[in-house]
Amino acid sequence: MRSDNKQSGVVQGTLDMLILKTLALEPMHGYGIGVRIEQISKGVFQVNAGSLFPAFRRLERDGLIEGEWRATENNRRAKYYALTPRGRTTLKRETRDWETQTAAIARILGASLGEL
Amino acid sequence: MVLLSRIISGLRRLFHKGQVEQELDEELREYLESSAERKIAAGLNREAALRAARVEIGSLEAVKERARDVGWESVVESLWQDVRYAIRLLRKSPAFTAVTILTLALGIGANTAIFSVVNSLLLRSLPVADPQRLVTVRGGFRDNQRSTWGGMNYPVWDQIRQRAHIFDGAVAWSVEGRFNITLGGETQVVDGVYVSGDFFTTLGVPAVVGRTFTSADDVPGGGPDGLVAVISYGLWQRRFGGAATVAGTPLIVDGVAFTIVGVTPARFSGVEVGQTFDVALPITTGFLIGGKDSALEVGAPLTAMLRLKPGQSIEAATVALRAAQPQIRADSRPPVPQQHYLEEPFTLVPAATGTSQLRQQYERPLVTILVLVALVLVVACANIANLLLARADARRHEFSVRLALGAPRWRLARQLLIESLVLACIGAAVGLIFAAWGSHALLAQVSTWRDQYFLDLSLDWRVLTFTAVVTSATAVLFGTAPAFHASRAAPINALKEHGRSGSGAARVSLSSGLVVGQVALSLVLVVAAGLFVRTFERLSRLPRGFDSEGVLVVTVDVTRSPIDLSNRIAFYQRLVDAVAAVPGVAHAAGSLHTPMGIGLTVLPTVNIPGAVRMREDELRPVLSFITPDWFATQGSAIQAGRDIDDHDTRYAPPVMLVNDAFVRRFFPGRDAIGATVGVAVGSHGETSVGSKTIVGVVRDMPWRSLRDDVPATMYVPLAQWNMPFPLVWYINISIRSSAGSPLPLARSVTAALTAVDREVALMFPPHLLADQVNGSLTRERLVATLSAFFGILALLLAGIGLYGVTAYAVSRRRHEIGIRIALGAQPADVIKLVLRQSVLLTVVGVALGVVSAAALTRYLEAMLFGVTPLDPSTFIVVSLLFGAVATVAAYVPARRATKGDPMIALRCE
Repeated sequence: MRSDNKQSGVVQGTLDMLILKTLALEPMHGYGIGVRIEQISKGVFQVNAGSLFPAFRRLERDGLIEGEWRATENNRRAKYYALTPRGRTTLKRETRDWETQTAAIARILGASLGEL
Repeated sequence: MVLLSRIISGLRRLFHKGQVEQELDEELREYLESSAERKIAAGLNREAALRAARVEIGSLEAVKERARDVGWESVVESLWQDVRYAIRLLRKSPAFTAVTILTLALGIGANTAIFSVVNSLLLRSLPVADPQRLVTVRGGFRDNQRSTWGGMNYPVWDQIRQRAHIFDGAVAWSVEGRFNITLGGETQVVDGVYVSGDFFTTLGVPAVVGRTFTSADDVPGGGPDGLVAVISYGLWQRRFGGAATVAGTPLIVDGVAFTIVGVTPARFSGVEVGQTFDVALPITTGFLIGGKDSALEVGAPLTAMLRLKPGQSIEAATVALRAAQPQIRADSRPPVPQQHYLEEPFTLVPAATGTSQLRQQYERPLVTILVLVALVLVVACANIANLLLARADARRHEFSVRLALGAPRWRLARQLLIESLVLACIGAAVGLIFAAWGSHALLAQVSTWRDQYFLDLSLDWRVLTFTAVVTSATAVLFGTAPAFHASRAAPINALKEHGRSGSGAARVSLSSGLVVGQVALSLVLVVAAGLFVRTFERLSRLPRGFDSEGVLVVTVDVTRSPIDLSNRIAFYQRLVDAVAAVPGVAHAAGSLHTPMGIGLTVLPTVNIPGAVRMREDELRPVLSFITPDWFATQGSAIQAGRDIDDHDTRYAPPVMLVNDAFVRRFFPGRDAIGATVGVAVGSHGETSVGSKTIVGVVRDMPWRSLRDDVPATMYVPLAQWNMPFPLVWYINISIRSSAGSPLPLARSVTAALTAVDREVALMFPPHLLADQVNGSLTRERLVATLSAFFGILALLLAGIGLYGVTAYAVSRRRHEIGIRIALGAQPADVIKLVLRQSVLLTVVGVALGVVSAAALTRYLEAMLFGVTPLDPSTFIVVSLLFGAVATVAAYVPARRATKGDPMIALRCE
């Protein structure tokens, strides 16, 4: 059920990768992850709860992230997600694939007749 | 790995639903808090911040729903919801549910019952190690190729046993029937079997207590432990309560002392499917028990099985065995030379499922009945589909609302299919109970006065799979039409008062199609039933030449009487005379064979003076041995000439009676009385037993089966017995009472017999000759009864289906009919209007059915007797029957349509 991506502006299928990347920096709770993605993307991507929560379930189920209940800085309990070793490998692979693809797309978009 | 973690987390979610939900709630709450906090930090007050956070997140329920939808477990959950909803709905209409479940339970139960018998008898492999490598040895003698048990004498088996190393072992056994055993002073009759020494080890059947036999046990006089016996699990439980100390217990079998050495497993009931055993003894002990009369001495009671070596093909094994055949023949040659002895080549037959006489008899009837009950289930499914269609129709409003609220159409269809599946599953569960009872009842029907059959009818994976497949198939069969129908509901109808629209017409055409199919299928069933019933009727009405109700038969076993073989004839006559002297007995006579009963069958070769030349097999009438007064006892008159009497002793001139069939074959258009016939026995008539003069002609009497033509028969006085083999160890005594049924005489007859000699035993309980005749028709009766039962059931179901469709059509047209009546239509016109449609459906159904039946009944030909597969009267009667049932089924609702006030009909819309 990947929808809402239009609103958030996240390219179809890349939300999982963004979450993994965010968690690669440090373990984080749900809201923090959304904020972090928004901050790093300088507000380009706004991810809402309706997309985040299914994504957490999906990643958790596939064993790429795991959650742990911990106290926050404000002393409330929150579920912190962290990358698993498998999540780390997946992130590496997906990053590499993504770079290959975007580079190829950039070349196609930048192509002019003279280069052929 | 990913798959595994998906499964685990899915299961966690299913089983710890509360905890998972709570965690999700908490996580969301925390999300909201964090979001609000951030907004407070940006300058909003707490209330505004919380509101803004809520607005941002949208519907909490929607978020949760989408988080839940990740993964397979959500599908399971929604299916479970559908199941619970279906159960709730079914509980709301108990009458519908009860009728449907009962119909399904009967249908699925009948199918499962018959299948479980088919499974035990035809499909199940023997519960032994590697049954695929077992083969049975056939051949050797010409008439052996097709028989299913017995056929090998001891010397041949002894030779094969010595060559067991060519294969992975060889075993032999002989189903003995009954053993009289004495255990702790108490005597009882049990099923017995003789087995070769390495029978259990070669088959891979271990002892549950003690040990099984070794080849050292199977030597004349017994092995190191003396004479030993192995008992079955059943006998062990019944007589020893499963005590582990059973090994070493003494056991007396037919007067010979044995020691029990072990117990076989519960699952193992021998290799002859249909029979079981309580006591197994080594083959060689048969000589001790039977003495000179042992089947091992006088006959060929053994069946041999080989275990192929791994990788050894059945062809290679056959070649190896045939290569040894000349040597086996030379080394097992009987003292009296026999022509063509063991010349027929050995053949090996796969025996993973064991051997079975019962199987050979019942394979075809069982499969036929299985097809019939499957058809009944299909007919029943059509009825249930119609009921469900009516329900789906009543629920159109609900469906429309659900569609209007955004439910996808497939969800509605799935809901209805799940309802069908729930019904089918409950039906199947109840049906399994019916099946357990039904399969035992079926087996009991197969047993006769002579044979008690045993089958392991416990449920196994094959039966359960069958039931599961039948159940899902039925659910799909009766659930598809309503589901399809419902998925075409229109959301717009939700807005209307009654979601009616034109859909009723679609339903009527769907239901009509179902009814046509139903009529056609049930017609096929009823035609088949009609043919079987006529077959049975023909067979039971055949002229028999005797009065079976008035004759009591006792078979006396004299094995243990201390009477010398040479004095047996006189002894038999003494027994007969003793019975004849019992008060109330009008006639009594002995014979070595009784019609449809057990006994000696001798096929001599005859030499008829002045007869045209015939083929060798045509010259072989049946030879029967009787004592004087036998025909009067059977209630059969002498047609011409005289009966044999006390003067026809062994010193008098040899005489015989012959039956009409004999005269027709050998003396066509001539007088047989006074003619002298040369008689010889042996497989090619090589041993002459002298000439006999025909002194009388009697009526034809069937020999083994009513289906066969009555054979040409010669009746020779037992006193003039001069066969070149020993006289058998039993005599059948027929008894006719002076008044009424001879059955009450059984007790005094038995007493009279034991008064002659305490040691004589009855081989079977005394029974009427009629039981023997009926016993020979067991199969035909079973098929006729079952097919008639299911045929009538199908007919009823079709009638109900037709009634349902007509009633529905009438209810839809009530408005129209009201107008017609208001405008002056007569009741007869209305009835005609309604009937027209039903008649059309019936005619189409009957036509389809007749065509299909005509195409299918030829597969039943082998089971029919005296009636052709296309028997016109059966077809006509059955078609008329359907016409009558259809008329009644349609007339009732049609009649109702004319009743009642037309004004009410007009107002009701």
